[in-house]
Amino acid sequence: MTVLEVRNLQKSFGTIRAVQDISFSVNTGEVFTIIGPNGAGKTTTLEMIEGLVSPDDGEIHFGDLSWSKNAVAIKKKIGVQPQSSAMFDLLTPEENLNLFASFYDHARPTDDILEIINLTDHRKNQVKKLSGGQRQRLAIGLALISDPEIIFLDEPTTGLDPQARRNIWDIILHLKQLGKTTILTTHYMEEAEKLSDRVCIVDQGNIITLDSPSALIEKLTNEREIRLSFLDGENAAEEADHFSRNLESVARTEREGTSLKVWAVKPEDTLLDLFKFNKEKAYQVEQVSIREMSLEDVFIAFTGKEWRD
Amino acid sequence: MYLLLLQARNGGIKIKHFHQFKMMLSAQLKLTLREKQAWFWGIFFPVILMVIFMVIFSGNSDEEFQSEIAIVDPNPNPASEMLFTQISGLPVFDVKTGTPVSREKAEEWVKGQEVDAAIILPESADASSVLLIVNKEDEQGAAVQAVSGILDKFVQQANLFAAGAEPSFELQYKSVSSGSNELDYTDFLLTGMIALSIAQGGMFGMVDLVEMRRKGLIKRLRMTPANMGIFGLSDMVMRLLFSIIQIILLSLIGVLIFGANLYISPISLVVVFLMGALSFNALGYFFSSFSKTTEAYMGVANIVSFLMMFLSGVFFPVETMPEWLQPVSNVLPLTYFADGLRESMVYETSVISGTLWFGIGVMVIWGTITFILGSWLYKRKAIVADR
Repeated sequence: MTVLEVRNLQKSFGTIRAVQDISFSVNTGEVFTIIGPNGAGKTTTLEMIEGLVSPDDGEIHFGDLSWSKNAVAIKKKIGVQPQSSAMFDLLTPEENLNLFASFYDHARPTDDILEIINLTDHRKNQVKKLSGGQRQRLAIGLALISDPEIIFLDEPTTGLDPQARRNIWDIILHLKQLGKTTILTTHYMEEAEKLSDRVCIVDQGNIITLDSPSALIEKLTNEREIRLSFLDGENAAEEADHFSRNLESVARTEREGTSLKVWAVKPEDTLLDLFKFNKEKAYQVEQVSIREMSLEDVFIAFTGKEWRD
Repeated sequence: MYLLLLQARNGGIKIKHFHQFKMMLSAQLKLTLREKQAWFWGIFFPVILMVIFMVIFSGNSDEEFQSEIAIVDPNPNPASEMLFTQISGLPVFDVKTGTPVSREKAEEWVKGQEVDAAIILPESADASSVLLIVNKEDEQGAAVQAVSGILDKFVQQANLFAAGAEPSFELQYKSVSSGSNELDYTDFLLTGMIALSIAQGGMFGMVDLVEMRRKGLIKRLRMTPANMGIFGLSDMVMRLLFSIIQIILLSLIGVLIFGANLYISPISLVVVFLMGALSFNALGYFFSSFSKTTEAYMGVANIVSFLMMFLSGVFFPVETMPEWLQPVSNVLPLTYFADGLRESMVYETSVISGTLWFGIGVMVIWGTITFILGSWLYKRKAIVADR
């Protein structure tokens, strides 16, 4: 069932066309991720959906509800964690949550939220004393206090260390188990791949592609990247390079010093051929790996640009 | 405050919003209590400023000027004895040891600055000069000048008396104040300081709004169904509570430590206080509407508050300022706020008073104009104008 539908959104700030034409729909219970480099239009898109920025053109529907007619009803349905950690620094997590709870008719108990965001131990510390990851979890907690159907998380892991990021992922996966719909923005490909049911890649205000992470990778190509590193010097690598280029399943190769990258449609067959070749020549190989294509490769393939974090 | 207006437009506060108000007010109180800056600038700073000014300018005002002198009567005779009795009878002079001393002793005291001056009485009934010996270092000092002036006047009177003439003119000195109750400097300064600290509370206090906007908190609250009118109202109630603490604390210090006399007209005080506090909050709200950073805001608030502090008769009456500056004072809201507080806290002026309402009118005009300008600027900048 569709909980959110966005059609032909457009927004300019002065001469900058932040969002050119964005349309998508989100289904109940899925984690829907908008990914793109900085300045791609992710946050503007999200803020239009959240009702903070009015679009120049386009439509936003939450089922039958729209911002122009049902603002209060929508606000009760959605929970928003904005990019800046906007909360009262001099209040404790508990006090922040209680205050936000008072804005809603049917708020979830503060204790439950503290449990979900794993801040029960810090409930009585002032927010200004919390770490970046703890603040971010509280920001998510504030978005959950109204027990919303749809949760918007705008770059929840930006600037956090790996452990803190993983804690946030756990919360997002927990929300999915609870049957919530989550709309997430990130500029970490790894995160999108791990968490999302569907990913929407945006660049320069347009959707480049939209599908499940695995389908996107599949759609792009069925090539896999094989990496080999030779112990017998550059000559060995060069000969292996030459050999693999003549193989049928190999699309292209790339050599740098003693290491070789081979992109192949059937990586298993190619590897077998390469091992045979090495055995004949008595070349020793130090490392072999097959890398799955990632969303990063999808991005590069679609935009022709390097991915930058 | 613009939120208040929004609220009014939405048709008043509903009872179901009471819980929201209670939670918001409790949050506001906690925020203020935990903010050290608020305590420093709102409570500690005005108290210190008032104490310093009171100690410097009014600490000795109740005591008469008194100077310690030595009198030398080298050759006691009826005339010199009469002069001695009269001079030592002057309340401004405190004659060291109470009796005439030798000239050597007197000069030693003057050199050692143990006395402000030594007076050498005429050596015989026929001699007529009275000699005043002072320390070179103190020659231009206030005490020596005063002693010399007083002695000069005394000698003139003695001359007239000796000539048997009655002075044709005499200077009579009497101080008056405009109200029914006497206003001394302590009362003047106390009421001025109360006005200043409430005004500063309003002008500086809205820095929270800039900070909240910068941190995205206002945006964040707008994402919830929170009633922003109630949020504004709770903010305002908290500010008024804080100002009431300021009034009580400053008044207590003024009355108990510096002996200020207050004759309060409660209704006038409440009206002046509310109108003044709201107007200065509107001023702060206006500053916040065009300040992107807290630094910018503090800069503007500092300039305005500094100018007003010295041009609005907080420390010294407006009348003592150069004439060309007075028209400036006469348009500043703080002038009328300080005057209003003086009327209602010292003169016990009833709420039905033309002067009182003229002052309130000026403050309300300031409040209204800055509030409208501020709201307009906020609205112009708001990404979504009406939500």
